[in-house]
Amino acid sequence: MDLKGIMDGITLDIKETTKTLFETMIMLDLNYGDASLVDETQIKTDVIGMVSFTGQYHGVVGIFCSKKFALKVASSMLMMELEEFNNDVKDAVGEVSNMIAGNIKTKMSEKYGEMHLSIPIVIAGEGLSITAVGNVPTVSDTALSCFSKDPWLMTYFISEKEKFGVGLLLKESK
Amino acid sequence: MPKVLIIDDSSVMRKMIQRNIQQSGLIVDSFVEAGDGKEALAKIAADSSIDLILCDWNMPNMTGIEFVKALRGSGNQTPIVMCTTEGSDAKVVEATGSGANGYITKPFTPDQLKTKLGAFLQIK
Repeated sequence: MDLKGIMDGITLDIKETTKTLFETMIMLDLNYGDASLVDETQIKTDVIGMVSFTGQYHGVVGIFCSKKFALKVASSMLMMELEEFNNDVKDAVGEVSNMIAGNIKTKMSEKYGEMHLSIPIVIAGEGLSITAVGNVPTVSDTALSCFSKDPWLMTYFISEKEKFGVGLLLKESK
Repeated sequence: MPKVLIIDDSSVMRKMIQRNIQQSGLIVDSFVEAGDGKEALAKIAADSSIDLILCDWNMPNMTGIEFVKALRGSGNQTPIVMCTTEGSDAKVVEATGSGANGYITKPFTPDQLKTKLGAFLQIK
């Protein structure tokens, strides 16, 4: 099967996995957005949580969100209002990435053989910057650009009026 | 009174597991935490009163499956329930074959936790 066909199937897995996670452990509303192959230059975000995997296919599963949304997720998981982007917030984003990646990996392993997961990595930007999205200037606390030579399969969601993405970078191992 | 050791490299997850157990109606007197398998072995060596161990799989320093093999290799038979995102059949077989007594996949609800841990803990 070609990579595009595999990715189409995985989009459904990403939606189901993220929905289950938000219903059971994060307890925030969740609505689907769209899914598409996105060039890395289009990805601008405050926070990235990533888990890589290896096997017959290898790649990265990542969550891309704003600091504000990361704070909401961590606050909900801990059932306490967090106001600072501290280690608990990074830990929560890492665990969300881990749970999404683990469940996607389990579904992929059923079709494509056993795969191995890394532990999560969370990257958050610091300092002020200004980015322009379309014609609308946006001021954000931070802006990270993600660099890769291949496009990400990005599945977008809306929760608590915040848009976030779950991305998949997938390559067949030689 | 039952004491539960939670092994997970995420401190947020350790807190969530504690809260879920408390919400589920399972009777637990106290919790002990460890961030990886190596730290868990040290805590067990220092405390022989642990009744149940919940163990993540992917952790730095010593993974969950390495911990299970090391603990069983030492002759310790405290029940271990794997609590992980690694939910494939192959992983479940590997864990139970290495000496784990149960398996729960993240994410989970308090009710699912109650069902899985009910064999090892009393329910209110």
